[in-house]
Amino acid sequence: MVQAWRNGDDARREDAAAWVVRLEAGDLTDAEAVAFDGWLSAGPENALAFDAAMSVSQAYAAAGDAVTLELGARRSPPPAYGRRAVMGVGAMAAAAALAVVIAPQLVTADTQTYVTAKGERRTVQLADGSTIDLNGGTRLSVTLDRDMRRVSLDQGQAVFDVAHAPDRPFTIAVGDRTVRVVGTQFDVRRLEGKLSVTVARGAVEVRPAAGAAGRAYRLHPGQRLDHQEGATIAQIAPATAEEVLGWRQGRMVYREQPLSEVVADLNQQFATPIRIEDAALARTPISGVLIIDDQASVIQRLALLVPIRAVRSDAGVVLRRDVASDR
Amino acid sequence: MSIVADFSAKRPTDPLLEIYLERRTNLVRFFAVRTGSITVAEDLAQELYVKLATRDPSVTAENPVALIYRIATNVMLDRARGDARSVARETAWRVIAHDTIGGDDVADQAPADDVAASRQRLRQLVEAVAELPPQMQRAFRLHKLEGRSHADTARVMGISVKSVEKHISAALKALTARLGR
Repeated sequence: MVQAWRNGDDARREDAAAWVVRLEAGDLTDAEAVAFDGWLSAGPENALAFDAAMSVSQAYAAAGDAVTLELGARRSPPPAYGRRAVMGVGAMAAAAALAVVIAPQLVTADTQTYVTAKGERRTVQLADGSTIDLNGGTRLSVTLDRDMRRVSLDQGQAVFDVAHAPDRPFTIAVGDRTVRVVGTQFDVRRLEGKLSVTVARGAVEVRPAAGAAGRAYRLHPGQRLDHQEGATIAQIAPATAEEVLGWRQGRMVYREQPLSEVVADLNQQFATPIRIEDAALARTPISGVLIIDDQASVIQRLALLVPIRAVRSDAGVVLRRDVASDR
Repeated sequence: MSIVADFSAKRPTDPLLEIYLERRTNLVRFFAVRTGSITVAEDLAQELYVKLATRDPSVTAENPVALIYRIATNVMLDRARGDARSVARETAWRVIAHDTIGGDDVADQAPADDVAASRQRLRQLVEAVAELPPQMQRAFRLHKLEGRSHADTARVMGISVKSVEKHISAALKALTARLGR
């Protein structure tokens, strides 16, 4: 436990130092400004860590000459800067500009997009050793570059098993949130503007994407975050990861989840769309296990959990409240 | 009814100002890290508010937070180009001498009244740097102590700007762990 806290502090100190250095450089992009603001707002501990790093940085800036003098007196190897250091400012500016132009090309060099059809499940093995299990009706793209691993989950659901590589952060952009992985296994879904993240192992951080409002959360095993896109807030609730991740074995487990969410899941599995007739019915909480085999059987079993009747038409299946069996 | 009306009249109706007020302390920190002075940072935050309040309200952005930071950068550049540097060097001592910085203004005291304490502090700073691994130390010295830009430091060390930034933040992390509390 103590160790965990220490690690948390250490990570915070690292973030704080990185932000101080990034901000001091003065060439903050819009996205960085928004990310910085989000990080600082995420909790008073972050602000404290930032102040500590800033204070140390400024102490050195103020005492630079004195410290250099003292260090020199200690016969520590003087930095061997040669004549390149005298190069004109113009040339340096040009070199800096060049670096900026080249970097984005390296970053976008290698993006892979993976798509699953409805009902199709697929496991993708990434070059860094991470694996992604895609549920049906999912589209995501992966960019691996030297110091960053990025996934964009456009739609659907996936379980990520991320290979540990602290110097290559793994982030998942999902709607107006960004999930930052600290090394771990977890489930992310985005269906109909509703985002959920459930952690099985390790820890992840979910923060508003650039431009989105809200605070960042750090999730631990057994926690699930739910968020409606566009909202500022998110809810954290306990969750059993094996249940949430059960879809990989064709098993969906629900605890007090609205029928609408169950139907959204089923619509990723079957070609024929299911619709719920009225909003009140859509909100009905569902608890139970659904084995996903064929659509008719699934709906039949769903009717055991909630009083519904399925009406088939050309447009698909409509679920109605079954008045006769109203409980 | 009238109470409700009064209350709502006091609230800023401009969403950009609301966002500013929510993030005021963040923006003060943003200014402080760049100018090295809490006092200057507070001034700039005030100036930013005036700028936001008097701007053309029809100009909106798809990303208001980014817009505020962009305007903040301009406010800072407009005003602080020359002065801030010298003010920074002087005030930073005060900041570290007090060891508190967030929120509270630092009192107007002569820096380093106590010469012995100042010597002691300098020794701590020197020792902490001396213990950094060589590459990290070199990047930190070139940039922070000798005042070179990241690009310049990268050139001198023959490594990428990104690596320089990594070395410097790793150095700052180690130094903060050792010196800060």
